[in-house]
Amino acid sequence: MRRLLLWSVLIPASLSGQAGKITFEQFALPNGLHVMYSEDHSTPIVTVDVWYEVGSRNERAGRSGFAHLFEHMMFEGSAHVKKSEHGQLVERAGGTYNGGTAEDRTNYFETVPSNRLNLALWLEADRMRSLAITKDNFDNQRQAVKEERRLRVDNQPYAAAFSDGLTWPFDSSSCFPYAHTVIGSMADLDAAKVPDVQAFFDTYYAPNNATLVVVGDFNAAELRHLVNQDFAGVPSHAAPESPRCNASPTGKNPLRREVRDQKANLDLVMRLYRIPEHRSPDTPALEILNLIVGEGESSRLNVAVVRREKAAVATGGILNPYGSRNGPGVWAAYGIVNQGVSADRLDSLLAIQLDSIRENGITPAELEKAKNMLRAGFIANRETTFGKAEELHHYRTFHTSIDEINTDLDKLLAVTSDDVKRVASTYLAPGNLTLVIVRAGAGPSTGGRQ
Amino acid sequence: MRPRLLSIVAPLLVSAPLAAQEPFPTSPPVAVRLRPVQFPPFREVALPNGMTLLLVENHEQPTLSLSLSFRAGTYYDPPGKEGLSAMVAELLTKGTPTRDAEQLAAEIEGVGGTISASSGDDFLTISTDGLSDHADLAFALLGDVARRATFPDPELELARTRFLSALAVELSQAENVATRAFQREVYGRNPYGRNTSAESFKAITRTDVVNFAGRRIRPGGALLVVAGEITLPKAQELANRAFGTWSGAAAATPAALAPPTKRSTDILLVNRPGSVQANIVIGNTTFLPTDTGYYPARIATHVLGGGSDSRLFTILREQKSWTYGSYAALRRYRGLGYWNATFEGRTEVADSALAELLHQIDRVRTELIPDSELTAAKGFLVGSFPLTIETPRQIAQVVTSARLLGLGSDYLQRYRDRLAAVSATRARAAAQRTYKRTALTIVVVGDAKVLYDKLKAIAPVRLVDIAGNALDPADLNPTAAAVVFDPTQVVAQRDSLQALVQGNVAGSQVYSIDVAGDSIVYSEVTTIAMAGLQQRSTVVLNPDLTMRRSDQTGTVQGQQTTTHLDYSGGRVKGSAMAPQPSGTPKSFTIDTALAAGTIDDNALQLALLALPLERGKMFNLNVFSSGEGTTKIVNVKVAGVEQVQVPAGTFPAFRLELSGMQLPVVMYVSQQGPRRLIRIAPTGAPVVFELVK
Repeated sequence: MRRLLLWSVLIPASLSGQAGKITFEQFALPNGLHVMYSEDHSTPIVTVDVWYEVGSRNERAGRSGFAHLFEHMMFEGSAHVKKSEHGQLVERAGGTYNGGTAEDRTNYFETVPSNRLNLALWLEADRMRSLAITKDNFDNQRQAVKEERRLRVDNQPYAAAFSDGLTWPFDSSSCFPYAHTVIGSMADLDAAKVPDVQAFFDTYYAPNNATLVVVGDFNAAELRHLVNQDFAGVPSHAAPESPRCNASPTGKNPLRREVRDQKANLDLVMRLYRIPEHRSPDTPALEILNLIVGEGESSRLNVAVVRREKAAVATGGILNPYGSRNGPGVWAAYGIVNQGVSADRLDSLLAIQLDSIRENGITPAELEKAKNMLRAGFIANRETTFGKAEELHHYRTFHTSIDEINTDLDKLLAVTSDDVKRVASTYLAPGNLTLVIVRAGAGPSTGGRQ
Repeated sequence: MRPRLLSIVAPLLVSAPLAAQEPFPTSPPVAVRLRPVQFPPFREVALPNGMTLLLVENHEQPTLSLSLSFRAGTYYDPPGKEGLSAMVAELLTKGTPTRDAEQLAAEIEGVGGTISASSGDDFLTISTDGLSDHADLAFALLGDVARRATFPDPELELARTRFLSALAVELSQAENVATRAFQREVYGRNPYGRNTSAESFKAITRTDVVNFAGRRIRPGGALLVVAGEITLPKAQELANRAFGTWSGAAAATPAALAPPTKRSTDILLVNRPGSVQANIVIGNTTFLPTDTGYYPARIATHVLGGGSDSRLFTILREQKSWTYGSYAALRRYRGLGYWNATFEGRTEVADSALAELLHQIDRVRTELIPDSELTAAKGFLVGSFPLTIETPRQIAQVVTSARLLGLGSDYLQRYRDRLAAVSATRARAAAQRTYKRTALTIVVVGDAKVLYDKLKAIAPVRLVDIAGNALDPADLNPTAAAVVFDPTQVVAQRDSLQALVQGNVAGSQVYSIDVAGDSIVYSEVTTIAMAGLQQRSTVVLNPDLTMRRSDQTGTVQGQQTTTHLDYSGGRVKGSAMAPQPSGTPKSFTIDTALAAGTIDDNALQLALLALPLERGKMFNLNVFSSGEGTTKIVNVKVAGVEQVQVPAGTFPAFRLELSGMQLPVVMYVSQQGPRRLIRIAPTGAPVVFELVK
């Protein structure tokens, strides 16, 4: 259905027409803004997606949650867009929009009917060049973010333990970037000041720290014209300093933390392990390990722990849930404890499953299944204009070369059983474990929530 | 941490055209022409066994999704067995004569696909997703589970345990608690209103499961939707192979009880102790899915709360900072639908937020929507349509829901035109018809201890726990055991105290006790001019010092304060107006159950005189604070006996240390009878009262 345009002859013929392949072009503006685009005319819509290379890992101590709070400020108006007008303009155009903050990046995106590409680009350019930073807007968004924290963390079962738990494999002194949560603490949110906002904008929200991706139904010449008109005049800033994380690749001493969660009705066990940055050669094998251990009805944990032992209500694996990282990450196996079962028993059952892979590896059927799942997931991730835009960003930000966008699947499909056994032995080693037990209900408070 | 890639890949980059830079536009660019959006083609074929095959053919990606829907949703759960449809759905993929649960999962996941079944309100749907080169397997498994599921006993028990645990998790989430309570309120015993419970899950037997599946999972009337890389002949061939010899139709839909008729707006407050937020759901039942009133109601509801451009979001989040989000939505079922508006935000602002929600609902009902907002709403609802049909699966979903709701063959083609044609007058009329302002259901889930009295000022409140059991408001506040007073200490008297502010006389307090045959009347007049305080209270008590009535009038810093309360039958009823930090006094009605022996806060001084005072003793008094509408426990500690010198003389007096009120207070009561108040000194306030005569 997709009409291949003239420029696509630049792409090697072997790539076009293959499932999940993404054809794209890229260029840079003199101010350092990197632009990538991919045409897809199957539906008259277009996605504009800007990533800034800043996230919670760039925050300093005492200002946790600031990158996310800042993200909210990006919707509060700029030189030519009034407060709240961003959303109004996009929605009135029939579009949807949002933004999101992870450890390593912050994204802003609009999907609009294709005749409003000009609006989406203009909105992104106006806030990149002239964010409106006022005390009123800041106080208002601080409240919105605090409500978001109450909604998503403080008022939800397991949420606080989950987001805090992801930081516990790291130590503030050696790796503050990943030793604090994305949502931040209430105290730090309260401590943030307006000048912090301006400084953050000046440091990180410059074209040379951003990538613009456009995917969908547009004409390339028209896109280049609009990008030039809207973005070429945005001044570049000095390149920001990279955050420092000196955590060793794996931990040496196991850690155990127990927390209480009044909102929960059942205990939860999480076994967290430190893993290397996304571009590590071990990542493909870890992704396969994650699927075999925790994905689907036929996963090891579901079959052994939920179905046969009946020790958990649900189990799963989690690999960097907020997004990939350019620094060390986290993999976790978890289970919600079934009624009448102790958390310690569930923990030992989870451990047995992980240890068996370290000792005996995986079966050929498991490996084939995981690869088929990856193949299907690979295609599913690239079905929509937004999905493709995020994939382009992901490969530019977290891979050694953007070209891996069309070769990464081959790398994943080349993983062997030995690779999986090897990464399991390395990263699921006992010394690398952070064990988190969440005790449900009120009762004596030990440790407490952060 | 990552090396900048620019230097490595720079030679590969196509450089941007070096055209002269154009000025940046200072206003939003206008829309350019949009090529007409046609609804993507789809095919509908009746299969010989009574199923309908709906095909969205698309060769863009090598994927294939199948879904098979039966009229077998939770609506068809028998009373007392709520959860049966969900249980059937869960067990459909847990075994057939040729594949057990683990084989089924391994087979489909082995090729990167999934199979699952879920039960919605009206329909039970079995679906598969995967790569199109495994189309044969997907159809074969779908046919196997739909026709030959065996519902093994051990799988039923495993599923039951998981449902019970999932229910526990669901009940720990405030928004789920709110949704369940709202459905129960608006639909009552109608099937859309019934909720699952631990009891209902436990009541389900294997026979129930087998019978439900036998009656309702039938090909006649079922909808098979195929989306992705497949041709019609191939889809027909695979469908015939999977379902060809299957026959029979689902049992007729049983008659159901009508939803209850509501006569007035009230609040169901679901107590969630310690909740840091309050979740509010407001709404009522609406109309059938084919009702043409849907289109203007959709526009009105979008203006009210359809997104971040709507009134609720703009006002409650962007202007007031009360919430992360507040929305309104119209929901359609095969039967009567509903609309609701939702809010979640911190507990302290819940009453203000509820008042604002009601105000905004009123505005949409009574005012014409201005052109700009009408255009904006249509811009979104009409303009966003192409965003909902991007993938074959999305297209299939849009068609499926239209078919399942019985919306007519022209629905998808005319949907956008019908919305675009709605006028402001029709939208207002639809809002008046849809939002039943005098019979709204309001559900609030939150910490009732904080919320109960605040919400009562807005509408009558019924208080329940999370399971829906009625709660006595008095139980929200732990109460002390009733104190036995010593009525012999209460004799007719009249005393005057002077108020000293930083050592200077600034006002007075005069109190009197009158003892008639069957009543005690305690009156107090307090004046402190510089604080703008003038207050007169009269309390009537029974001879055993139980409360009968309390009245108070006065002004505090220019704000009026009044209280009129009747105590009888274990309750206090009446009205109060209390000064507020905002400068505007707040009025509210009071109707609350009380613990035995609770005294009015205006009778506190009298009660202290009648306590069986002894050095070292401690008393806990239940004191009803009319200004806050709640009962507090006031702790009275008899710290010792001291010689206290005041203008009226020097008295040996009990030193009483009171806590549990706004400020801790030290009071001195004469040791010898008739007892008198000698000195009153609130801690941390610059005022002291001393007995003058």
